[in-house]
Amino acid sequence: MYNVTIGLEIHCELKTNSKVFSTGKNEYNDEANVNLSPVDLGFPGVLPVLNKEAVRKAILVSCALNSKISNKTKFDRKNYFYPDLPKGYQITQSREPFGTNGYLMIHVGEKEKKVLIHDLHLEEDTASLDHFNDYSLLNFNRAGVPLIEIVTEPCLNSSEEAISFLEELRNVIRYTGASDARSDRGEMRCDVNISLSKDETLGTKVEMKNINSFYNVKEAIEYEIKRQSELLDKGEKILQETRRFDSTDKKTYSMRSKVDSIDYKYFPEPNIPVLEIEEEYIKEIKDSLPKLPFERVKEYIEKYNLSRKDANTLVKEKEISDYFEKTISLGCSPKLVSNWITTKILGYLNKENIKINEFYLKEEYLHELISLIENEEITSQQAKEVFDYCLLEKKTPKEITKEKNIKASSNNEELQNIVNKVIEENPEVINDYKNGKERMLDYLVGQVMKYSKGTANPIKAKELMLKDLNS
Amino acid sequence: MNIEEFRKKIDENGIKEVFNESVKISKERQKDVNAFVTIMDSFEKSSSLSKISNIPYALKDNFSTKGILTTASSNMLKDYIPVYDSTVYKKLKESGAILLGKTTLDELAMGGTGTTGHTGIVRNPIDTTRSISGSSSGSAAAVRMGVCPFAIGSDTGDSVRKPASYAGIVGFKPTYGRISRFGLFAFASSLDTVGIMATSVKDVAIVTDILKGKDENDMTSLDNDDEIYENLIEKDVKGLKLAYIEEICDEDNNKEIFNKIITSCETLGMTVEKVNMDKKLLEAVFAAYRTISCAETTSNNANLSGILFGPRAKGSTPDEIIFNSRTEGFSELIKRRFIMGSYVLRRENQEKLYLNACKIRRLIVDKTNEIFNKYDAIILPTTKDIAPKLEQEKEIINDKFSVLENHLDIANFGGYPSITIPSFEKDGMPLGVSIMCNIKKDALTLNIAHKLFEKLRGEENV
Amino acid sequence: MDKKTLKELANNLMFDMKEEEYETLSKEFEFLLKEMDKISEFEGIKDVEPLFHPFEIKTSLREDEAKNFITTEEALLNVKEKIGNEIKVPKVVGE
Repeated sequence: MYNVTIGLEIHCELKTNSKVFSTGKNEYNDEANVNLSPVDLGFPGVLPVLNKEAVRKAILVSCALNSKISNKTKFDRKNYFYPDLPKGYQITQSREPFGTNGYLMIHVGEKEKKVLIHDLHLEEDTASLDHFNDYSLLNFNRAGVPLIEIVTEPCLNSSEEAISFLEELRNVIRYTGASDARSDRGEMRCDVNISLSKDETLGTKVEMKNINSFYNVKEAIEYEIKRQSELLDKGEKILQETRRFDSTDKKTYSMRSKVDSIDYKYFPEPNIPVLEIEEEYIKEIKDSLPKLPFERVKEYIEKYNLSRKDANTLVKEKEISDYFEKTISLGCSPKLVSNWITTKILGYLNKENIKINEFYLKEEYLHELISLIENEEITSQQAKEVFDYCLLEKKTPKEITKEKNIKASSNNEELQNIVNKVIEENPEVINDYKNGKERMLDYLVGQVMKYSKGTANPIKAKELMLKDLNS
Repeated sequence: MNIEEFRKKIDENGIKEVFNESVKISKERQKDVNAFVTIMDSFEKSSSLSKISNIPYALKDNFSTKGILTTASSNMLKDYIPVYDSTVYKKLKESGAILLGKTTLDELAMGGTGTTGHTGIVRNPIDTTRSISGSSSGSAAAVRMGVCPFAIGSDTGDSVRKPASYAGIVGFKPTYGRISRFGLFAFASSLDTVGIMATSVKDVAIVTDILKGKDENDMTSLDNDDEIYENLIEKDVKGLKLAYIEEICDEDNNKEIFNKIITSCETLGMTVEKVNMDKKLLEAVFAAYRTISCAETTSNNANLSGILFGPRAKGSTPDEIIFNSRTEGFSELIKRRFIMGSYVLRRENQEKLYLNACKIRRLIVDKTNEIFNKYDAIILPTTKDIAPKLEQEKEIINDKFSVLENHLDIANFGGYPSITIPSFEKDGMPLGVSIMCNIKKDALTLNIAHKLFEKLRGEENV
Repeated sequence: MDKKTLKELANNLMFDMKEEEYETLSKEFEFLLKEMDKISEFEGIKDVEPLFHPFEIKTSLREDEAKNFITTEEALLNVKEKIGNEIKVPKVVGE
């Protein structure tokens, strides 16, 4: 067994109206080469003009990653030739990025881990290439889309940790609203650096570029651990190189070795003056940060006694988590709200393919529905019926219970009659129960509920049943 | 001929007549001067009431003009039709000025001889056996030929001021950022400045007033200073303090002429004092300029690849296309500069070469600022001597250089406004004198230059 | 500076030169590097902060507004080979 050390570099496109250095439209799923600015094509004489919103979002994510925010941020040029790079250089940040020395707390199974973030910087995306049999086509709609690159320290030790980190990071970015961070749309892409060693020192670093899904990150890491372990077992050396992950056969292939590594000849971007960021502005952004998923999960487990699974489900989307928190703030039991969301509501949203903000049953109504149960006005079973009616007829729970005359039976005499009837009809079950088969009680209560058509209060039914059985 | 004289001629003969005459002369002199890459064959009459409305002008062929061929005098762009307007061109159009043509430059504005453009050598219209230098060669020549009262150039080291001086006209490099660079093909972005050439300081002021101002397309453009330079040039200069740098003036081949200029300044009530600057520092200007400008230009011109514009060479992979297009498109001189720039930026050289050059830049600017703490302006001969014979102009550096021939770069290092005006003639060829002031003091620079210009004209006529 | 290094530098910049041009370049290099040495030996240079912009410029950022587009025809006006709305290049292999 070897010590595995992994560092990640994540590129994430920011959600803005215009591009990072031009007024071209940030929307590359349109028809090819539309809504471009001359800047996006690198025509002679064009100049970059930095987008305020891209800056705000870069700082926002930096804050969410607990980074030190630079007061004087700078831009640099990374020089290389590639057909998708119209200017022949990419504007990025190498000397003074927006955020440095950050960290992100993640859950790996039951454990917590602090993942150190080296830096977060802002840069521009390249054009996209479509490949055909004997030619490729260039589309510049993506050229200049704002990208943040987040670089971790080499502090992850397994594919599981890497994936947990990526999932947490994606959620954090979504919570800030900086990006939808959808890897299936190429909005989030990942480079993986991995090294193996026998002791505490770091082994030889192998880099894997541009992996486009979390699943492939996992596969690539696991393949590399296997490949490198086998080499080390045989006493062979690991080459310092860049490898490419092939998602069809799930293997990695050598692209170039360290000796051929490209010298990008970074130097300060002369067209963008040093950007001073005032403390006040940073504070304003920090204050605007929502409570982040790690903290929420912790709170849901420790304060509300939810299972880790449910807590994780609730925080997956900020809007769902907000819905949950608002409903309980109205005075509902967290456990009940969680159950309603995870069992009924998420299923409904999924089936209807809608978002929670389009969901008819606002927090107030869910609170109303749960209160009806808690006040014993309706039973849980009736509540499910009310829920369906509410969504079907777009009416509040109270309106539905009133119109349809749905209520829990509170008539003790009536309930006692049903209990008597069930006892009469099930002499054998009663016998079993009396002979020690205690779980038969649930069956008997169930029968009572059935006869009452779900209107009976199950707790009361159980109470009466016990009284009779024990008399 | 200045703007006012052109105006008079237009009033007398009509715009069409004046435009056609300028076109005719320009074409006639293409053979011996070669000032233009493109000469326009039509114009649109403007109803603008600006001072330059319907006045013809020439534009260096490295300013983006939508729909009009713009080559930067390079084979790499010999067929390039821009699809957007530079801010400078847009403002001139809005003011109603009439574009006479796009002028020849040293390829991609690099080099200072006027000999490296893809359409051939530009010659000095005063004496076509002599150089006009560059890189704004054609713009200087056009004004000198009298086909337009002003022309636009770009100045990265001395590219407006030196040819203006050799052509015996006024050449102004304003403060860095005073005029938007949007649409000016970049040479070295931290040094590039739009410059104006004309036959008088007053005309330069008029055009600068029109071109200056904050531009949302250029982050380095300065906030508006809300001054009208044309109105400020007549201010009394009495009591202003000028300095000249002894180490630079020591190399002057025409000291008696410079002394005469100093006397004129004193007659105007200004004081002129000698200051000193470390000779070693001045000698470092050349290497620092080369290093910084080559580093930036290598990167700035990486967009010239044949993929999106410019001639596309053959190749079986995109890399081959880019490689062959660049091999065929750039001249040797340009390639040498690119290689130099790339070398100084290499990981292993960057500290020693590129960063040290930027440090020298700081030292020179600090030292210059010290002078500006005590003096209003620095006055120096623009060049060591009159325009050289063309056969002496070489674009290969291998010899000892002079600090006088490189001092104009200082204005670009610090972004200072700097202007050259014609002083006296020698052997029938003009000499120039330069005034440089602290950053953002464009009005003061023009004011001193205008007063001195008028004074020297007066003396000449006596 | 040997020719191999110079050629490598040129090729990294995606072009080549003629034999005799490399010789000129080599001479020019020799001269410039000598000049550069003078700079590195300049007294006190170590402690100087490099200057990248001529002076400090106050920046103002751009509002996040998508506007001033060129048309697709304009974007492709100077392109030598295209298919539909896109720029055609020989097939990109490798990365």
